[in-house]
Amino acid sequence: MTTETETAAETQYCLICEHGNPSEAVLCAHCYAPMALIHDAIRQNREPCIISVIGDSNVGKTVYLGFLLDMLSKRAGDFEAVPKGAYSINLQQTVIGHLQRRQFPPKTPSEADQWHWAYYQVARRVRNAPWFDLVMPDMAGETLAAEVESPKTHVVIENLLSKTAGCLVLIDAAAAALGSPQPDLFGLKLMTYLDQMFAGKRGEKIHNPVAVVLCKADYCPQCFDAPRVFAETNLNRVWNFCESRLANVEFFATSMIGSLGFGGDEEGNVVPIPLHTAPRGILEPFEWILSCLE
Amino acid sequence: MALGRLFRKQSGGGATAALADPPASAKAPSATTDFVPAERQPPETDPLKQLAQQERWALIANAEGQWRTHAQGEAIVAAAREKLDTQMALVPEGIVELPTSLDDHVGAEEAEVHVQPFLLDIRAVSNARYQHFVDANGYEDLDLWPEEIWPHLIEMLDMTGRPGPRYWRDGRHDDRLATHPVVGISWYEAVAFARWIGQRLPTEAEWQMSASWHLKSEANILRRFPWGDAMDHTRCNVWASRVGTTTAVDIYAQGAAPNGVLQLIGNVWEWTTSEFEISDFEGRPVMGEMPMRSIRGGAFDTYFESQATSLFRTGQILMGRAHNTGFRCAMDLTGS
Repeated sequence: MTTETETAAETQYCLICEHGNPSEAVLCAHCYAPMALIHDAIRQNREPCIISVIGDSNVGKTVYLGFLLDMLSKRAGDFEAVPKGAYSINLQQTVIGHLQRRQFPPKTPSEADQWHWAYYQVARRVRNAPWFDLVMPDMAGETLAAEVESPKTHVVIENLLSKTAGCLVLIDAAAAALGSPQPDLFGLKLMTYLDQMFAGKRGEKIHNPVAVVLCKADYCPQCFDAPRVFAETNLNRVWNFCESRLANVEFFATSMIGSLGFGGDEEGNVVPIPLHTAPRGILEPFEWILSCLE
Repeated sequence: MALGRLFRKQSGGGATAALADPPASAKAPSATTDFVPAERQPPETDPLKQLAQQERWALIANAEGQWRTHAQGEAIVAAAREKLDTQMALVPEGIVELPTSLDDHVGAEEAEVHVQPFLLDIRAVSNARYQHFVDANGYEDLDLWPEEIWPHLIEMLDMTGRPGPRYWRDGRHDDRLATHPVVGISWYEAVAFARWIGQRLPTEAEWQMSASWHLKSEANILRRFPWGDAMDHTRCNVWASRVGTTTAVDIYAQGAAPNGVLQLIGNVWEWTTSEFEISDFEGRPVMGEMPMRSIRGGAFDTYFESQATSLFRTGQILMGRAHNTGFRCAMDLTGS
């Protein structure tokens, strides 16, 4: 007969939702986060920071995160980054492998148990710089949207964001520049959701750093010249909300694809083709978030 | 006109001898936070001297008879020939195979193009060189522009609304970037400049011949890079070189082609005159949102090494004024 102590010893608590799982579990039964995260966190003897990359479906979260992780693993910028666990490399492998062949990676599945997670140790390459343990999941935009519409529908997102130390909110600048209100409206929904998540005392601003990342900015180069001005002009709802509720917010522009063509897939659907890549502004939002957390 | 040596020394002599190795850190100044406008030169009034001031050497050399009665005609024509001799290099006759599909596996379909010998700029067109075109009101000379683009000339403005490359201000380039390649220019602007100086853009096949050096010989040697077959980040400016911005057009001597042409790989993508036509993985033509022209060579922000080779094909829309795209000029041998 198993004693209580023995049962407790066999139980591992998910890093994201803190739900108990058998020690041999691969995924958390509650939120589907990989149990490897808690195993690696225990090995490091450090509570990891969760940095979330969120945004609407098709805004480019997967490509952004894939590039970011690949650049970090190449010691881009000031950073030294070490992946913890082979699973941490799956996302960048998928993204880099596809883009190199001039294909976009497949859409992130809605099912949380199929998401890519990355656990990296990152530090600036300066003397005595602190190490950060970073957990960065690649969330499906559709699942995020569903959770924002109906909070508590998707436990993993609620738990992730509630533990998020810093957030990169990706918004489609190209669509906004063309006059679509969708990026602004969805961005506002996301901000409102975060507000509910992080809100402290009534009237107090949120202090978690939030980087608003204007994606696909190669379509609207003025984004790079003055991202704040672009946001104020083309994403006025988001801008106003940030001014009112966020104490620690910054705006960035990014683009990843140098030139876009259109071809067909096996089923005859029109698909976008990344003719060549020209990543720009990938590291800066991340650098800023980290500087806020240091 | 004496043409340049076919094979220029890549180091230790000739025009490339004084060229510096890439600096360890070569961050260009921010375009938005600080700007040092290039000084304006007082324009020459004498037509021949004006052409020389504007560095339009081909126009001078190709109209030699026109200057016979000019007091300094002989000297200036001789200087023009000398300039062309040192600024351009001969690209020999050769064969290039242009991949016709995004599918680039070994054995994929290619189009064979026979390239006649021609002359190519050793360096990409710099900001200083392009400044002459702007100062001469090149954007208002409609003869240089196709008629369908006339209504769009008003879109070809700099940061302050003056005609000029996108990142300039008040019609001036940043003086600290005088020797950097001019960027933020559409295909039309590159073509107009080339016409203005009496030259043209290279075709895609000519560009590839210059970079791959696929001579017509039994040896049938093809180079992935102007310097050989392996990427070397010290010989070019791509993402992995960690420069992060453009560099001067006259460095990376070790990355030169056998005839001395510099920076065919990296620094900036280069416009060609060729339409960009390629098939997707299903054999259907790839379309852009607008017509595209071929650009070649990769740039400072090219992340994948496979996209910065002599063979990689890609395109950009005609009106695209990217921060990482420039050009260099070519000239037929018959015009020399």
